[in-house]
Amino acid sequence: MTSVTIVSLLPQLLGNNGDAANARVLAQRARWSGVDASVVAVNGVADLPERVDAVVIGTGTDSDLVAARDVLLTMATQIREWLTGGVPVLAVGTGWELLSWGIELPGNTVEGLGIVPGRAVPRAARATGDLVVATRYGRLIGFENHARDYVGAEGSPLGRVESGFGNGAAGGGAPEGVVMGEFVGTHLHGPVLARNPGLADHLVTLMLKRVGVDYVAGARSEPVDDIARAARNQIAVRLELAIEA
Amino acid sequence: MRYTPAILIGRGVRVLARLRKPGGGSAVPGLVVNRIAPGFLASALNGFPQGLVIVSGSSGKSTTTKMLVAALRAHGLTVFTNSSTANIKQGLTSALLERASLTGRVAGDIAVLEMDEGHGAAIAPTLTPRVVALTNVMVDQIDRFHDSEMVAALLRKIALRATGVVVINADDNYLADLGTDVEAGPTGARVDRYGVTAAVFEANPRGLGYTHTRSERLAPGDGLLVTAVNGRSAQFELGGVNYPVTLPARGTHYAVDAATAVATARAALGSRFDAEVAIAAVGSIPPVFGRGEIVTVKGEDLEFVLVQNPASFQLNVDSLEPDTEQILIAIGSDVRDPSYFWPVDTSSLRHVLIASGSKAHDIALQLVYDDVVVDRIEPDVGVALDAFLALPRPTQGLKTIIFSADGMRRARAHLGLATNAEEPV
Ligand SMILES: [Zn+2]
Repeated sequence: MTSVTIVSLLPQLLGNNGDAANARVLAQRARWSGVDASVVAVNGVADLPERVDAVVIGTGTDSDLVAARDVLLTMATQIREWLTGGVPVLAVGTGWELLSWGIELPGNTVEGLGIVPGRAVPRAARATGDLVVATRYGRLIGFENHARDYVGAEGSPLGRVESGFGNGAAGGGAPEGVVMGEFVGTHLHGPVLARNPGLADHLVTLMLKRVGVDYVAGARSEPVDDIARAARNQIAVRLELAIEA
Repeated sequence: MRYTPAILIGRGVRVLARLRKPGGGSAVPGLVVNRIAPGFLASALNGFPQGLVIVSGSSGKSTTTKMLVAALRAHGLTVFTNSSTANIKQGLTSALLERASLTGRVAGDIAVLEMDEGHGAAIAPTLTPRVVALTNVMVDQIDRFHDSEMVAALLRKIALRATGVVVINADDNYLADLGTDVEAGPTGARVDRYGVTAAVFEANPRGLGYTHTRSERLAPGDGLLVTAVNGRSAQFELGGVNYPVTLPARGTHYAVDAATAVATARAALGSRFDAEVAIAAVGSIPPVFGRGEIVTVKGEDLEFVLVQNPASFQLNVDSLEPDTEQILIAIGSDVRDPSYFWPVDTSSLRHVLIASGSKAHDIALQLVYDDVVVDRIEPDVGVALDAFLALPRPTQGLKTIIFSADGMRRARAHLGLATNAEEPV
């Protein structure tokens, strides 16, 4: 049976919001379509598996920023290779920020790996709440909770904010996230892929393409995606946005 | 004598408040007295002959406080304690007023207060506790929007007020560091430690839920050790002696709460401490509502399991009776951010009959990605409960209801059960 390997990067330091669970979502959707999948937790360079078909990285606390960055630096070459080699990468919150040029803190700056464009800058007040973003993968609905804006990614955002803060620019249609090739950075944390199978299937499609499989969603996805739609619609109703049929 | 006028006024207000709203208005007299005599609260709390004990930390403090009070009472002490952390300043002052003499002295040998890290740190500068006990630093639902660092800093502020002993959980790295600082610091307070053995720790492969777990376990002889946990039975080791312990509910987190209480009783009682008396008392407290609580509804036993943060969610899922056949999960509006569930591995549940509460769809989504079969999604907790209770009795385990605090309130209200002000893990 064809099989893919999904890396959950630094789940110990960057697993605050269960972002690592996005690896589980990619794996399950691959399995439901008939492809074997395994998730490998990588907390250090020694844990790196031989083959990598997709990568997820999540959010941690600010006190672990430097520690997480230092571990990522030991894998900088591999991370660059993933990005240039077409491996889909989903980076949420802090994990995304650490791959950027850097993170400005009130007192100092944590240099990032400089792999994706843009940088994180402090915002006046923490952005916390539902975040709705119009994207080419459909309207994404999730939760954001971040103390920094993201600047310098205006050229290729993941989408446009319909409700919430996103990257932090003022006004309607402000950008959220960044897309660079197969890399997706976003503030949508926690179960973003479970809540938004459109984005999940974009990443699963890229992942399976690497093993020569044309992804067709499995039968089990359908009832699961009905649940996700109901969860999204519940928030859409609360925000007085149009619901999905 | 300084507080006599304030106390008289406070009592007058209390009578008025009750006349206007029977059974209500309990915080109002406290508010009034705090306004006209701002020193009363600290003076009364600091005035107990055997001092003040403060219990704080992210979770487990309610259970620990109840166990500690039981242990102290079993040693013959009269204990003043608070029943709720809500509105601590006003509520405490009002409670103290009820028992204060006109000179401001409150009946009792010793005071034991449970304090939320936030409120506790706010009133800590005026208090001189003899003993401070700290449970752990976890990221909980209420506190998810501030850092663990902040919680640790608040706990530090409380700990540095201790004049006698600071009792810390040696497995929690934030608290272990704090213990080292207290020992090096200017207060002269002693540090007592408790923790679990490597074997107990390893039996919880996901850890105990602390934000940062210390890499080494406490060595025998360095404090009170939880050496075994098996359902409701546990074993403690203290001073080279092993003690069998009966817990009021299953699970390692209960054993750790009990260890906190026994270690704190020892710190508070000094030479009068009798480990057997303390341990027997700790095991005798009624189970905390909503955490492994068994409730009888229409002649059938139900088990209520309350989850209040990802760590307790995981611990509770892991400590459910294996192959529990009938499970209802109700997660309500108190869980604002659905990412709350996702660090939890729910796969061991295998089959959930009904997902309910306003977050029914979100919890169902998490369950199905963990390969748990979910039969039905019913956001209305009342409808879900009626359907669940109407099912034939399970052949394996009890009907088990896992809920968030909001789900619990709705469920208890629907079943006509008393609600409670407990602050669970
Ligand atoms: Zn708090």
